[in-house]
Amino acid sequence: MRPYFADLPKTALGAAYWLFAVYLLLPLALMTAMSFKDASFVAFPITDWTLNWYAQVLNDKQFIEASLYSIGIALATTATATVIGVWIALLVSTEGIWGKAIIFALACLPAVVPGLINAISMRIFIRTVDIPTGTAAIILSHAVHAVPFVVIMVLTRLRSMPANLVDAARDLGADRFVAFLRVTIPYLMPALLGGMIFCVLTSIDDFVRTFFLGGYKPTLPMLIFAKVQGACRRKSTPWPRSCWS
Amino acid sequence: MQPVVQFKNVNKYYGGLPAVDDLDLAVEPGQFVTLLGPSGCGKSTTLRMLGGFEQPSSGEIYLEGKPISHLPPNRRNVNIVFQDYALFPHLSVGRNIAFGLELKGLSSDAIHKRTMELLALVKLQDFADRMPDQLSGGQRQRVALMRALAPDPNVLLLDEPLSALDAKLRQQMQIELKTIQRTTGKTFIFVTHDQEEALTMSDVIVVMNKGRIEQMGGPNELYSRPRSRFVANFIGQSNFLEGKLLSHDGATAAVDWNGSIIHADLNGTKLAAGSGATVALRPEALYCVAEQPKDRFALRGRILQRVFKGAHTSLTIELENGAELALQLDPVALSHLERDEVWVGWRERDAVVLAD
Repeated sequence: MRPYFADLPKTALGAAYWLFAVYLLLPLALMTAMSFKDASFVAFPITDWTLNWYAQVLNDKQFIEASLYSIGIALATTATATVIGVWIALLVSTEGIWGKAIIFALACLPAVVPGLINAISMRIFIRTVDIPTGTAAIILSHAVHAVPFVVIMVLTRLRSMPANLVDAARDLGADRFVAFLRVTIPYLMPALLGGMIFCVLTSIDDFVRTFFLGGYKPTLPMLIFAKVQGACRRKSTPWPRSCWS
Repeated sequence: MQPVVQFKNVNKYYGGLPAVDDLDLAVEPGQFVTLLGPSGCGKSTTLRMLGGFEQPSSGEIYLEGKPISHLPPNRRNVNIVFQDYALFPHLSVGRNIAFGLELKGLSSDAIHKRTMELLALVKLQDFADRMPDQLSGGQRQRVALMRALAPDPNVLLLDEPLSALDAKLRQQMQIELKTIQRTTGKTFIFVTHDQEEALTMSDVIVVMNKGRIEQMGGPNELYSRPRSRFVANFIGQSNFLEGKLLSHDGATAAVDWNGSIIHADLNGTKLAAGSGATVALRPEALYCVAEQPKDRFALRGRILQRVFKGAHTSLTIELENGAELALQLDPVALSHLERDEVWVGWRERDAVVLAD
């Protein structure tokens, strides 16, 4: 006979997983629900439904501008970080390069350095070399932060690549560049796409680097921050005080 | 005839150790040449130097009379079939084969025509749009072969391409490879550690050991006239009879072997009378009869062991002079042996004196 509690560990594990999923998704679900509520207070119950908040956002010129600015920065960051990241990954995976471990560690450092330290040091750096704060400085700092993600993903994929593939391409008449373009890049594509998504997300999400390096034009996170802060300060607030404590 | 491939005094060192040691080799056009040897004998290094993936430490390699050591792989008119095939996983079968043709700058019509021709040669016309991971091992092997043949190389290099296949498929592919080599008339240089593959397909076998050529010749010659103990042991099996050279007339030698006088083919060796000599003898070249034969040479012995192997039976025989010999007998010959007391002999020309 099966012991009575034989399935208990499995059940407990399953339950724990679903609890975690709920914990992750509930706040998001609440926010989504509130976005359809036709009232200025974040509270249940929802009696009237509306799409008005969305319409307001779409009509807010400042908001649209900030979004486009953020997307532009994200794209430039992605392009820069991908090129640098792939280059470093290829360098690290080449045989007979001295100090590979050091190159790899340096490239990955920005992923583990706290954002604030990163931001302040970047600020000091751009002052030193006379780069003005603004778009270029933001892209530079975002790219530094994004490079490790590209390096790690591309390197993992490169390590699983049969060495013979490039040899075969060379053998069939491709020079180094053509072999890279027509064999290595397509093989790396899944890792490249993954890395690029990371780049876009970290860039769009970034607040602290943008805050220290930005000019007068706000990115989306900065605009939202300013609006929330302004609203809370004015106290004539559509947001309850608790939203910013 | 001018050799299509020639190695002249080629050396390759890895960290001071020779992988290929003063290699001299000339390959005639249109031949199926096999580099045969155990792992680490330098055969793959030799092939990779020819393909352009390794540089010789010294010496020169010639392709159709022109030195090519300084050329990168993409500027040599040779193509390789890799051991693991190295098919491009992101390209279809057809695009894999077309890869080399596209780089040659052919028109898309010409590429399509040639690709289809090649696929038809291995009966894979219907697979042009499949991806490599949808193919079986044997099919991948054929695609890799056709991809390497597509740019019409002077010489095709094959780096142990059959080692990943199961035994049955391997035998089938051996015949197929040989047929393709005949129909295309190309020079094939094939690397393997499998003596059976080498014997089945080759016009010329080059036996390599420790970076050097041990012996080179046709399959028949290598099998029946091994020059060294290494070759006699690596290709097939042999009995080694160690004795003393009594005398020779330049063709046949008389050897004192444990007190028995035996005669063997001198096989071009330059041994002086009185020196030690080893005679190699194939197990299947021996005969074994119950009564002493009147008209031919035989030694008296006793069967120690019989091992049934299906098509033949392996015997171990202890001779009167104390030595043991391994034999292979077919069922007919075996049926005449009821008792264990036997007479063992061989034809003079089946025994060859080794150089070492």
